[in-house]
Amino acid sequence: MSATRMHPATPGTPGTTPAVAPKPRTKRRRPWKGRLLLNVILSIGAFTMIIPFLWMIATSLKSPAELAQFPPTLLPQVWQWSNYSEALQAAPFHLYFRNSFLISAGHTIITLVLGSMAGYALARIPFRGREWVFMGFVAMLMIPTYTKIVPQFLLVKFMPLFGGNDIFGQGGTGWLNTWWALIIPGGLSATAIFLFRQFYLSLPRELEEAARLDGLNEFRIYAQIYTPLIKPALATVALLTFQESWNNFLWPLLVTTRDDLRVIQVGLAVFQQLDSTSWHYLMAGTTLATVPMVVLFLFCQKYFIQGFTHAGIK
Amino acid sequence: MVTPAVAHIGLWTALPVLATFALSLTDYNIFDAPRWIGIDNYIQIWNDPTFRLATWNTVVYTFWTVPVSMAIAMVIAVALNQNLWLRTWYRTAFFLPQVTATVAIAMVWLWIYNPQQGLLNAALSVIGIPGQAWLANPDWSLWAVILVGAWQGIGIKMLIYIAALQNVDNSLYEAASVDGASVVRKFFAITLPMLKPATFFVLVISIIGAFQVFDQIYVLTDGGPANATTMMTYEVYRSAFQNFQMGLASAQSVCLFAFLLVMTLISRRATRGDDE
Repeated sequence: MSATRMHPATPGTPGTTPAVAPKPRTKRRRPWKGRLLLNVILSIGAFTMIIPFLWMIATSLKSPAELAQFPPTLLPQVWQWSNYSEALQAAPFHLYFRNSFLISAGHTIITLVLGSMAGYALARIPFRGREWVFMGFVAMLMIPTYTKIVPQFLLVKFMPLFGGNDIFGQGGTGWLNTWWALIIPGGLSATAIFLFRQFYLSLPRELEEAARLDGLNEFRIYAQIYTPLIKPALATVALLTFQESWNNFLWPLLVTTRDDLRVIQVGLAVFQQLDSTSWHYLMAGTTLATVPMVVLFLFCQKYFIQGFTHAGIK
Repeated sequence: MVTPAVAHIGLWTALPVLATFALSLTDYNIFDAPRWIGIDNYIQIWNDPTFRLATWNTVVYTFWTVPVSMAIAMVIAVALNQNLWLRTWYRTAFFLPQVTATVAIAMVWLWIYNPQQGLLNAALSVIGIPGQAWLANPDWSLWAVILVGAWQGIGIKMLIYIAALQNVDNSLYEAASVDGASVVRKFFAITLPMLKPATFFVLVISIIGAFQVFDQIYVLTDGGPANATTMMTYEVYRSAFQNFQMGLASAQSVCLFAFLLVMTLISRRATRGDDE
């Protein structure tokens, strides 16, 4: 992890940098004492921030006997890599992992396709009532999760003709405990549509006019001319959607009770409730739940940062 | 081309919102048909000490997490706004809690707060402070939750500040340097005023975010001990999905929505003001 690598390198003493000719790196060079102090403070701060992550990994590699000691050891005395395989026996974390992945991928695909189409239409196709539709989406941006969660749950429960329900949605369980409930309702957000519209608006009109002259229809202009130009935006929205969906907890908790449909966040919570003493397994599972997002973030920082600065809200 | 999106958002967002308002005026337990009871749910909420406590806890949680992490985030953003070696690594470290799942990191904190083998009590015992059952003690549990919230919230605020600092004209600092201004003086005379619009934006989105705290409450305390850490969102969850009082839960979520709507409207006015 980033954390372990950055620590030994942090105190930027002059001795560690090769003594090349002292050329000014910046115009306003701070005195090196100031820089050193700043680096020390920042590295202490950064280290404090990642202590929970380091502690999570350290715990996941300790034996139960070692965990019982007080004061606790900082690093594992014996590195119990077998904790990970044993944790998978204790609870099907690999299944939870797969479920989370499928749902996140599903949400991402739906958002990219439907969201970009809607964003494109709102930005570039003048149709009747467009302003109204756009205003509607903006209004939906303001709706917090908790103001729609009860009826959303009821919609899922009373979904007609599913799960033993009749045409009026009575008699069965509807979409509860199905992939439908996990993937469809959270598949698209007004935020994604809004972001896509902004990105399409930033492209020049001339392309559209030239494409029309060439006789391309609207869908091909969208698919072949404009969308390839917003690839970075697609990446940004895709990452944000994937991350949010991977980290989502309340919705999968509400609509699933079956173990084979559990996502990793719910799986962790259930495991903790059932077995509140096996911290080494729990931390191994938590590490598994955390690592994909950390890796994704490390490799796609640019897009993540762009996305978070645009969207502002988690 | 906009039709599928309109259908989706219409069914899964617009309709539920309207339904929430309608349900908030009924008594409904899922199994029997909803019964119209007017504003009784709101009267019940008004007289309910638990919901009052939840509202108070939410406000306290917001009041402490938001300004504390904002101040830390601003200082870090200013420090990172220079040509530092390892700059990206620092930024990553501060941002990491934001990208990881709240449930997962709340598990880690649950373990850190563990009274017998937790890291926090171990660290405190080194400097001679007696340990605590942080989450089981009503005097401390809310503070334990606040610490987690503040810790997780630093990253996003820092990021917005970094973006805002990139728009600050460097010549201001150069002029100040020529005049012999100190670092501290430059911070208060230039950086702080220039960051005012960003600060307002961060403040509002952070308040909106903090009001919706749920996952860490669920993992760390279940709202306890003795409702010391229950929040508005947690009460909505409890009413709807533990007691099956869908009408009451809807009315509670309308109250939460009213708080957030005011905040959102303020933020929209403020951000629009920036563009002009």
